[in-house]
Amino acid sequence: MFKLLQEIARKGDVTAEYPFAPFPVSRNFRGKPEYAPTNCIACAACTIACPANALTMTTDPVAGSRTWMLNIGRCVFCARCEEVCPTGAIALSNRFELAVRSKADLMMTAEFTLTNCRFCRTPFAPTKEVNYVIARLVRQRLPQEEAERRRELYETCPECRRHANVMSRCRTLPAQEAQAA
Amino acid sequence: MRELGTPRRGQSYVDAIRQQFSAAVLEEAWQVDNQVTLTVDLNSLPEIVETLYYKHDGWLSTITANDERQLNGNYALYYILSMEGPVKSYVVIRGLVPPNRPEFPSVTARIPAMVWGEREARDMFGLQPVGLPDERRLVLPDDWPDGLYPLRKGTMDYRSRPAPSGGSETYPFLSAASGQTQEVPLGPLHITSDEPGHFRLFVDGERIVDADYRLFYIHRGMEKLAETRMGYNEVNFLADRICGICGFTHSVAYASSVETALGLAVPARARFIRTLLLEVERLHSNLLNVGLACHFVGFDTGFMQFFRVREKAMTMAELLTGARKTYAINLIGGVRRDVLKNERVRTLQLIAELRQEVTTLVDILLSTPNWESRTKDVGRLDPQIARDYSPAGPVIRASGYARDVRLDHPYAAYAGAPVKVHTRDGCDVLSRIVIRAEEVFNALSIIEYCLDQMPEGPILTEGFTYTPYRFALGYAEAPRGEDIHWTMLGDNQKLYRWRCRAPTYANWPPLRYMLRDNTIADAPLIISSLDPCYSCTDRVTMVDVRREKFATVPYKELERYCREQKASPLK
Repeated sequence: MFKLLQEIARKGDVTAEYPFAPFPVSRNFRGKPEYAPTNCIACAACTIACPANALTMTTDPVAGSRTWMLNIGRCVFCARCEEVCPTGAIALSNRFELAVRSKADLMMTAEFTLTNCRFCRTPFAPTKEVNYVIARLVRQRLPQEEAERRRELYETCPECRRHANVMSRCRTLPAQEAQAA
Repeated sequence: MRELGTPRRGQSYVDAIRQQFSAAVLEEAWQVDNQVTLTVDLNSLPEIVETLYYKHDGWLSTITANDERQLNGNYALYYILSMEGPVKSYVVIRGLVPPNRPEFPSVTARIPAMVWGEREARDMFGLQPVGLPDERRLVLPDDWPDGLYPLRKGTMDYRSRPAPSGGSETYPFLSAASGQTQEVPLGPLHITSDEPGHFRLFVDGERIVDADYRLFYIHRGMEKLAETRMGYNEVNFLADRICGICGFTHSVAYASSVETALGLAVPARARFIRTLLLEVERLHSNLLNVGLACHFVGFDTGFMQFFRVREKAMTMAELLTGARKTYAINLIGGVRRDVLKNERVRTLQLIAELRQEVTTLVDILLSTPNWESRTKDVGRLDPQIARDYSPAGPVIRASGYARDVRLDHPYAAYAGAPVKVHTRDGCDVLSRIVIRAEEVFNALSIIEYCLDQMPEGPILTEGFTYTPYRFALGYAEAPRGEDIHWTMLGDNQKLYRWRCRAPTYANWPPLRYMLRDNTIADAPLIISSLDPCYSCTDRVTMVDVRREKFATVPYKELERYCREQKASPLK
């Protein structure tokens, strides 16, 4: 009993001042995700990696837009999004105070315009993503004009690209067969 | 991997079974050197399982049912036994159940430990255990429609909720008591952890004659969710959330089951980081449990002190992983985060502080006058009952058996680590709590060992492909006993079947024997000594059978009675 009282006296008051003083967390602490839409290219890597489906993406083909959405109410703070993001558009901060008065405040959205396919005119890929790919090529020492020349390829939807491939194959095949004969 | 000529671990068990039941063994498949799956004739299955269990020191890890109709036209049942005789290995006995006659002979009559696994197979897959006396549902609620078996492939979407088939609870609670008793329902929320679980105590005066209980009020359908919605890596984060205490252990068990199934080598440094964090988790859990035990014997100052010290373990977890709980560290093939030098230094500081503080507190606790009188010889788990029910962790170690997966089947970096298994013969609450306290010090030494011996190198293996329908076991010793995960990979980047068993699943069935012949005031203390993963009720209804009278007592009142032992709510 005496030892216990001694221990209590020795330790004194251990209650933290929080919320009247900031509560320090470790440097690595995984808190609220911070999102920088300017960096985001809407590639959807984070929405695939997110185990909790806190990150989702929806496409509106009529408006030609894609909406990125983060629901912090579903977030499990695992930082997989941060790990897979190619442009560093999302990173977990140290902030842990997440209470809001309205549920809608837990939602974060960003809208991106889609590029129309040059052939079928259906919107298929975020414009920023196409630009990002071309910028990547330039950064990897491909001459600017050459990279721009490939723009047509990147602005063609996979469906039309496949179609074009098959068609060009069809055009060359009979000629080859004729040659072989 | 295996050197030619060296027999696989566990070969002796296979040979023994083949010798005794030569005609019954249909197929032998080795997943890894210490894991073998024997497909046997369904009718001989009970006898084979019994032979392994009682004659070859087998213990039940878990029972898994699996809908393999797409693979071989049948349902399969896997009885997973941890062999802990002179040779330590896992032997899995598999029986195929034809879909046109979904029945199998129950093993429960031979080994009581099987009861929950077989009841669950009936609920989730509609496989009837023939000869199982307990015909009640285990997992599914009373108002679940008949004939809807959630884990059968293609029965239902994980999001669908069938309309209730009835409006009332029909679950009968069973008592083995002879003569007149009073019934004391505890639940649907638990006393110690404020989680759901309904207990019915059959009492004679203050003495508990028998007890029955019903759990699974918060069944979250995680196995179904993982199978239908999540990729392999995502399930790591789901496994982190199975338990609020030993989540990381589940995540390690899951990741290693997939790695074993694929034969994937995990880098040494990753294995050390896993071991390190497993022990950090053990620290906080054990301190929490000892703290709660203080609370239930009415020593609230001790409770506060243990929680104050436990905060250092939480700080350590936050420092090393970025979160106090739900570490989110595992991926298939390794870990996501390295341990840096400054973190290592700070962790060693915290270890030194913890060692000194916990020593002081445990001394204080053990010299507190009413500590021993409240816990000694309370909630006895007889060694024979322990043998029959295969409980896990400190519960079995307090009944004299040195069972610990870290030593029996070393995983992560435990081979070589200074693991000490603490056992006691008291079989009571005191032994269980003292073991938890002793394991705190052992965990501190293992953390130091890991930080000291951690090799350099990569922490994650990448660039492998998943092979469909491979399966294996993963296991890890949580603070309360072993977590067992059995996984089968699918062909669509999702698990075909995931079975996870938390230690409490093995510790619940023998609880009724621990409660017998104790007083009502000790019930919360006994239940808390399991450190159960569930929840307890906020109110208690007392049924006086003799006078046919009901009385409802608030939960707080029962907790108060447990702490103060004054003014019985029954009077």
